[in-house]
Amino acid sequence: MLKLAIYGKGGIGKSTVTSNLAAAFARLGRKVIQIGCDPKADSTINLLGGEPVLPVMNFLREHDREPERIEEIAKTGFGGVLCIETGGPTPGLGCAGRGIITTFSLLADLRLFEQYKPDVVLYDVLGDVVCGGFAAPIREGYASQVLIVTSGEKMALYAANNINSAVHNFEDRGYATVRGIVLNRRSVDREEEKVRAFADANDLPIVADIPRSDDIIRYEDMGKTVVEGDPGLDVSKRFLALAQLLLDEEKAFE
Amino acid sequence: MKQTARIISIHAADTSGVCSMLYELGGMVVVHDASGCNSTYSTHDEPRWYRQDSMIYISALTEADAVLGNDEKLIADVTSAARDLSPRFIAICGAPVPLLAGTDFPAIAAEIEARTGIPCFGLHTSGMHSYLTGASEALEAVVSHFCTDSLLRTEKPTANIIGATPLDFSISGATDSIRAWLAKAGFELVSCMAVGSSLDDIRRASSAHVNLVVSSCGLATAELLRQRFGTPWVAGVPVGERFPAVLAEALSDAAESGKCALPCAERDATGSAKRIVIPGESIFSGSLARAVELDTGVPCRVLCPLEAEDRLLAPGDQRIFDEDAAAAAFAGASGVIADPMYAPVCPPDVPFRRLPHEAFSGRCYRKESLNLIDRPLPWRL
Repeated sequence: MLKLAIYGKGGIGKSTVTSNLAAAFARLGRKVIQIGCDPKADSTINLLGGEPVLPVMNFLREHDREPERIEEIAKTGFGGVLCIETGGPTPGLGCAGRGIITTFSLLADLRLFEQYKPDVVLYDVLGDVVCGGFAAPIREGYASQVLIVTSGEKMALYAANNINSAVHNFEDRGYATVRGIVLNRRSVDREEEKVRAFADANDLPIVADIPRSDDIIRYEDMGKTVVEGDPGLDVSKRFLALAQLLLDEEKAFE
Repeated sequence: MKQTARIISIHAADTSGVCSMLYELGGMVVVHDASGCNSTYSTHDEPRWYRQDSMIYISALTEADAVLGNDEKLIADVTSAARDLSPRFIAICGAPVPLLAGTDFPAIAAEIEARTGIPCFGLHTSGMHSYLTGASEALEAVVSHFCTDSLLRTEKPTANIIGATPLDFSISGATDSIRAWLAKAGFELVSCMAVGSSLDDIRRASSAHVNLVVSSCGLATAELLRQRFGTPWVAGVPVGERFPAVLAEALSDAAESGKCALPCAERDATGSAKRIVIPGESIFSGSLARAVELDTGVPCRVLCPLEAEDRLLAPGDQRIFDEDAAAAAFAGASGVIADPMYAPVCPPDVPFRRLPHEAFSGRCYRKESLNLIDRPLPWRL
């Protein structure tokens, strides 16, 4: 089972990258689960035709009980991708990080992986690793690899560096390792040079180079990923190529 | 009120279960909690505290450490203490504050083990489950790590006792009586998990022909040994006069056939007849119910307020989640056998027999503890 966590600065395009990757894995015939780990709970919306799934935290709040079946907190989207959102507490109250851990614990109680038997699990995580909850997706048993999404913008690279350092700090704990950088271009001057310099300094490969594309925005306006909307586009092929690369590595590892 | 105890007590929490199960095994137990809480886990719930040493410690978690996620302080303190004490293993577990902070104990255990070279187990206690959950996970972790070799079995029948702690058997002499009964039944004891046996005894557990599970906190370990070495298990406690013979036969059958058995649940509590109700841990209470029925003919029903697999309950037994449910069940009963702290919710016209349960009332009624093993029941029913 390929288990990936996608991290990066807020607003850098993590959910776009994650849901396009999920769609790409699905187009390659794989059974996929995508878990959005952000209180905004908008990670999977473009796999669901713009109709969001009820987040787990909202379920707990509205029903005052734990879900008894996976179907109560999941929806199937494009290509059969099972979509789950942790959601978060009432804004300004509670603890969002604890919400992620609670959700993961509930999913374990519901035997999600044993029942659904996915080939790929994707965790789309809030931009900054601000507390233990936001490191939960890279704990042992969850994601084994991390992809960091960044553009050439200074603050995006700053966040990428923080995330990379945080993951390194957990080396002795058996947590996930950083697999590489996804360059999500934002039309920054000398963008590739800046990101490559960061990648080289940290001994990380750039595993995908996603061009700025109006097609992504056009299909998201329709509640779709670009991979779903037109897999023949160059930008879609980049996601499909990344998905294939990761699958090939997984196969070689096995 | 739902899931509420206004009048009666609640059972000891998972953390107490860990401390109790590992008390005698030469390991170091560290509870990540505020200073002072050791008295809860290891004094009120632990009759061995004043007469037998054990390495049970509290990390003295502070608000700042919790908020700042200062795991390094915990890891360094445990590592330093372990170097001084040289324990056989380290078990590290949590309480409600680490639960809320999302502390990752298995990861912390991995770091401590890497630094000390001592086997370290990160347990998932939180104070939100009963002692059975903590005791179960603690024993399973130890047995899983230390019982790896398949040892030869002797010709003479041998057995382990699994799941014995003072939380279920106090210091009434019951565990010694179970040992004596086992010998009388023709089985040589390999180990008693985990009262009166050493870690080295437990390491030889795979040489047993059969395992006797005396509390549901031993079931996961018994299953582990069955899967790893093919050792069958039998769930029951030899209480009363006639049930011990039934249990002895079940043990012999299991040792011969390799099949597991649950004589404690081979009852039928369905139907509308008034019954004596027995709230408590499922294997002990089920065994007592069978003993009462066999010795007196009076029908019984187990009330289960604790975690228990469905297979440990007989048809007609009842899970209860709060004192209102206990009170309702008592009101329709012909009698109650329960810890004295249940008495306030028992109607005055229903005969109430006192049977202290350390995991429910701590040391309050320890002097009244009863040893019911392999002897006539002390009540006229």
